[in-house]
Amino acid sequence: MSIYGREDSDLYGVLAEFRDPGELLHAAEGVHAAGYRRFDTHSPFPIHGMDGAMGLGNSKVGIFSLGGGLTGLALGYLLQWWTGAVDYPLNISGKPAFAIEPSVPVMFELTILFSAIGAVIGMFALNGLPRPYNPLFYSERFAAASDDAFFLHVASNDKFFDVEQTQDLLRSLGARHIELVYDHGEADEDS
Amino acid sequence: MSSALKTTFFPTWLVDPVRATAQHARAPFRPLSNRMVWIVPLAVGIAGLALAGVAWAMDAKQFYFSYLVAWTSCLAITVGAQFFVLIQHLTKARWSVVVRRIAEALTWSFPLLAVLSIPVVLGMHDLYHWTHADVMNPADSHFDPILKGKEAYLNTPFFLIRLVAYFVIWSTISLLLYRSSIRQDLDADPTIPARQRKVSAIGLLFMAITTAFASYDVLMSTDPHWFSTIFGVYFFAASFWTAHALIALVAIFIQRNKGLQNVVTEEHYHDLGKMMFGFTVFWTYIAFSQYMLIWYGNLPEETLWYRHRLEHGWETHSAALLILHFVVPFWILLPRSAKRNRVIMSFMAVWFVVMNWFDMHWLAMPVLHPDHASMHWASLACFIGLFGVYMAVFLYRLGRHSLVPQNDPNLARSLSFTT
Repeated sequence: MSIYGREDSDLYGVLAEFRDPGELLHAAEGVHAAGYRRFDTHSPFPIHGMDGAMGLGNSKVGIFSLGGGLTGLALGYLLQWWTGAVDYPLNISGKPAFAIEPSVPVMFELTILFSAIGAVIGMFALNGLPRPYNPLFYSERFAAASDDAFFLHVASNDKFFDVEQTQDLLRSLGARHIELVYDHGEADEDS
Repeated sequence: MSSALKTTFFPTWLVDPVRATAQHARAPFRPLSNRMVWIVPLAVGIAGLALAGVAWAMDAKQFYFSYLVAWTSCLAITVGAQFFVLIQHLTKARWSVVVRRIAEALTWSFPLLAVLSIPVVLGMHDLYHWTHADVMNPADSHFDPILKGKEAYLNTPFFLIRLVAYFVIWSTISLLLYRSSIRQDLDADPTIPARQRKVSAIGLLFMAITTAFASYDVLMSTDPHWFSTIFGVYFFAASFWTAHALIALVAIFIQRNKGLQNVVTEEHYHDLGKMMFGFTVFWTYIAFSQYMLIWYGNLPEETLWYRHRLEHGWETHSAALLILHFVVPFWILLPRSAKRNRVIMSFMAVWFVVMNWFDMHWLAMPVLHPDHASMHWASLACFIGLFGVYMAVFLYRLGRHSLVPQNDPNLARSLSFTT
């Protein structure tokens, strides 16, 4: 199923098509202003200002990144200390078995590595990826989202969602085409 | 266009090489008309320099070191601003067009700094041990064979030749880019950006070499036994770091005084903040690279320099440098919201300017006081004095022209820039 799925019905949501990025941006503002939170926009290219229009806050990926970075820093310190001073101490030109100076590059590199890995994992987790299937693919028109069409999808599990009212709102915001998308749970079924 | 750009003559030339063009600035880019903007820092600066004069009368050696620290702090900002301008031209940067004029105006501080280098030259005997005749004389009891070995480079005439060469090269690069940018305000000649890029490509090469050698000459040679090939990069990192801070600070200051309304936005502050954050890490990276290699190599002639900075109270300065130049700015500037907040950004910008001075103090002052940590009032007087005059002249110059390169082909993109 999907992150926007609904238990009691297989109605996945309303998919509205807009003519250009500007209309999509204004529609996103309108939908957000009407109180909706579970909606998404789809366009062939990034639209500047869309995260503001959709009312999206700061991305939470940074927290994963920070957590990964701090983990890497601590791990680098432990690695240097344990291998150098505990497990296999070697006297190299009289230098201390463990010292912070030569350990900093290792700690630094592991900080970078783990914060990068944390960012990627966090991005996947927050996006609900990997997800090879999305009910929106049942829509014939939706394929154009990667070519020349601009879509706004309101999920049926949004607390303001109402089949009629949501469609009216999207129409008043200038939607060119509106369809209901159902999640049949099978990839091969006709839409 | 009827209004051709007119050159000024000495001594006005020291302040601004071209006549004022503010009357041609379009409304949103008009400079501040309030004269207090430069009169106040000038008064503060003169007061500081008067106090520095007292310090000179009391203890000339202390004064020269304090002056050197203050002078290199201002030099670092100017060098950093020049690198900023060069890089924006070379990368055809769009985001930075609205703040580029601030950096361009900063770079014309080179001629003023050349004049202000006179006390450094007069104090050479106190500042630079290698200028002493006895250390170069094998018959003398103070003979120093290490310095004798460096005599081909570290000798007074060659030092002065290099100092002049640096300022000629720096002022030339600044003049070419500053004047063409002001000329563009009056006459949108489409060939100007390509010429600016060409100047920047060659200019960057010269800036890189001269900045490194200037840092060796004026700062590193205060401890002439010591050497570090990365020192030039360290000085560059410090200068580029501070320049971004000052550009942000001046932009916020102008907006506070009702200039550049809706021209510089939080998107631009966000980018300046990213650069400030990034170069906080870069400075630390370079500073640590220098330290770690010397620690690992463990050669007496190299480690001694750090030893001076890790004993007799200087270890407090070293710790303060690590915490206040890296750890605190790192955590404050890490969140996205901090870089988009003008209060935090202006606070951090002031912090950076002060920390850069503290960094220069840390580099030079242990040479004068190897056996006790010092924070002499003369150092504060020299910094307030020089920085005040530096800012006054810069702000006066900034008030003579449009606050942005108003005919830059990328200005519209900079105005509507979002990250």
